[in-house]
Amino acid sequence: MKSPLFGKFEEPEDDEHWLGPIQRLKTPMRRFAPGDEVDIVIVGVGSAGGVLLQRLARAGFRVVGIEAGPFWDTERDWVSDEAGSHQLYWNDLRITGGAHPLAFGANNSGRGVGGGSVHWAAFTPRFHPSDFRVYSEDGVGADWPISYQDLKPYYELLEREMPVAGPAYFPWGDPHGYPYGPHPLGGPAEALVKGCTALGIPVCQGGPVAINSGSHGDRPHCIYRGFCIQGCKVGAKQSTLISHVPDAIEYGAEIRANSMVARVNLGKDGLVTGVTYFDEDGHEQEQRAKVVIVSGYAIETPRLLLNSACNGFEQGLANSSGVVGKYLMAQAGNVVMGRFDDPVRMYKYPPANALTEEFYETDPRRGFARGFAIQTVGPLPIAFAKQMMVAKGAWGWGMRAVMMDYNHWAALGLLGEILPWEDNRVELAEETDRYGLRVAKSTFNLHDNDQKMIAYGVNKVEEVLRAAGATEVVQEPRYAHLIGGARMGNDPSTSVVDGFCRSHDIPNLFVCDGSVFPTQGSANPGLTIQALAARTADYLIAEREAILTRQPRSMRGVEAGAPPIHYDLSPHGTSGRGVPRLKSRTPTPEIGLGGLPVGSKG
Amino acid sequence: MDNANTDLLPRNPTTGEVLPPRAQPGYYPGYSTLSQQRFWDAATHEVVLRRVHQAQPIRFFTPDEARLMEAVCARIIPQDDRDEAHRIPIVGPIDERLASGRIDGYRYEDMPPDGEAHKLGLQAIEAIAQHLFHTPFLQLGAGQQERVLKTIHDGEPPAGEGIWRRMSAPRYWMLLVQDCVAAYYAHPYAWDEIGFGGPAYPRGYMRGGQPEPWEVEERRYEWEAPEWAVSSEYEPLGRGHETITPGQGGSH
Repeated sequence: MKSPLFGKFEEPEDDEHWLGPIQRLKTPMRRFAPGDEVDIVIVGVGSAGGVLLQRLARAGFRVVGIEAGPFWDTERDWVSDEAGSHQLYWNDLRITGGAHPLAFGANNSGRGVGGGSVHWAAFTPRFHPSDFRVYSEDGVGADWPISYQDLKPYYELLEREMPVAGPAYFPWGDPHGYPYGPHPLGGPAEALVKGCTALGIPVCQGGPVAINSGSHGDRPHCIYRGFCIQGCKVGAKQSTLISHVPDAIEYGAEIRANSMVARVNLGKDGLVTGVTYFDEDGHEQEQRAKVVIVSGYAIETPRLLLNSACNGFEQGLANSSGVVGKYLMAQAGNVVMGRFDDPVRMYKYPPANALTEEFYETDPRRGFARGFAIQTVGPLPIAFAKQMMVAKGAWGWGMRAVMMDYNHWAALGLLGEILPWEDNRVELAEETDRYGLRVAKSTFNLHDNDQKMIAYGVNKVEEVLRAAGATEVVQEPRYAHLIGGARMGNDPSTSVVDGFCRSHDIPNLFVCDGSVFPTQGSANPGLTIQALAARTADYLIAEREAILTRQPRSMRGVEAGAPPIHYDLSPHGTSGRGVPRLKSRTPTPEIGLGGLPVGSKG
Repeated sequence: MDNANTDLLPRNPTTGEVLPPRAQPGYYPGYSTLSQQRFWDAATHEVVLRRVHQAQPIRFFTPDEARLMEAVCARIIPQDDRDEAHRIPIVGPIDERLASGRIDGYRYEDMPPDGEAHKLGLQAIEAIAQHLFHTPFLQLGAGQQERVLKTIHDGEPPAGEGIWRRMSAPRYWMLLVQDCVAAYYAHPYAWDEIGFGGPAYPRGYMRGGQPEPWEVEERRYEWEAPEWAVSSEYEPLGRGHETITPGQGGSH
């Protein structure tokens, strides 16, 4: 074959900033003058920060996002290569401990504009209605101060903005459909579908995943090259970098990349005044703002609050409860691998390709609370070799031999709900980073319910692979995603922020990212993080006057009910048609804080 | 081939015949990811080609450490079945990572920094070689070298107590193996060996489980590791490995 089917490839011109092969950053970015006070500063332009920035800029706020990592040009900075994608992850030092220490970096932590959404596999299941009432229903974990119905309109919005590809009918939780059609199946998905079908387990094919199955505006559809978690150069997989950030910039947001926030500053009146950060030349700068939103995810958010300790908040900013850093969670992410006689070639097609949530809810017969999902994963060779090192104890000639069989293996992942425990936490270590800031130290221990769930779940995934025809099945223990560390709740003595992500202690300080989740379900958190960001933006928009007139104490509390939902703030060309079973664009009537979720299990 | 070399080579399990070194071991004869490089994007092309053509000077390890590390890595990822021209550098990329202070974003609380762990590990390996065979690791036969390393794999190193008080043996083992496989399986020669398609942007794939027109069908052959090899048997890692969870990306 002498040339690609569709002709010669374009190379970037000097003055172009590419966000995928078609989309260009069109407008020069606004620059606020040094010393300017802005309305809102967002710390971290990741999954939550990108959506917040876009919504708030469109609504007319003067808003700055400060991001520790680079502002990626997808064509120049990213590669179609496993080892070459190391810089996408948060690789700065963190100390990890406890009986079951968590791995960070490539496993769960992003750095750079787009944050974790740059390297997520992009599975986008919604949380189930029961996820918001875990304590009420099962007597474990915690309840959320908001219900599924509060987030539902934002799920619907984000599923179109991303957009999500999946089946027309998704049967679990609150059943719904997706705007773009499901993807064809790769090898691991074929195995999951075949195994589940043989066992009578319902299974969902080709999504839900935030990867284009048809072209969408200036973003092409997927080309099935399988490098999703290495950063999608194709622009088919959603990251806030390509879905929301261009719109934010067009509407006047500024992003300061390669800038590390050192602390959030508190004024004498008990309000935050802005942040101090190190700019890309390493110089200390201050950005004043009327509102500060911390969106640094489950490790960096608590770290920043703890590093911002000051008079009046000696244990960490907004930490009168002592809960900052606590109730850290990760999902059980055991990778179960099966060898098949016929080639599987799991490096092709998105790793996020099929799933079942049939075991998601509590089943008393299983002997533990809550449950798990089973999903496809598609490790590339280096990741697979590391998995085989653990799963089979492989090294030396054994490693070479099993790797020669790489194309015969299919990998499935458990995604299990580990409950929130107070002793699982983020603290500050004595060691400091290159800015002189104390690094985070995490402690993680599995509890009895977690271990029972993992044992049962791994066994179930092994059963599925055998039913699909695997002749050998092995597994690697692992954890996926990070959640918690600054949880939301109604009680200021046991939570950090309220149902609008506003800190109980400081009326103009918000935390909005995965760290505020009180529980994590068995659903990948990315969609819920972005949906929660859109809802938080709607709250801030509703309180615009209080913010702009510096009266944050007069911002309404959760008792005032949900803010109006803005259906007119989506990025260009993403609102409107294409969602089955989404009858209208008006808010669903059931919305209300503390309202019972509709459609939850009995 | 002299006898010393043939001892290191895999064999045909049916005939017992030695399999001579190949330019490309594995079941995909004629497959070449590098032959597809004109279809790769410029940034990827640069990263992969630099990996293939640029040998890194050793900066982190001392010359003695580098020699020992070469011998250790030659057992963690043996390449005796590859001809000299097609061997994949392992110590160079590891040294480059350690010299530039690149880490995976975390350190276990019971481990020293990666570079120090590697240096301590080499000292421990030497101590185990002396303990078991009263001979430096570099002078041991490949089978004896494997038996030295296997004690760390099993989590029961019989020497180097002082070092193992400073770091966990199972975690050191995983650090060592991970660094070796990360170097080996990042190389296009290894992709050809295992039938992995390599870079695929902007062209992509269209055929799921089937080979693309430029890929090849698998053609298996029988081989087994040399008789002395203990690494050819799959045995669980040492006690406590279940709490170690390297949890690499590559999943959801």
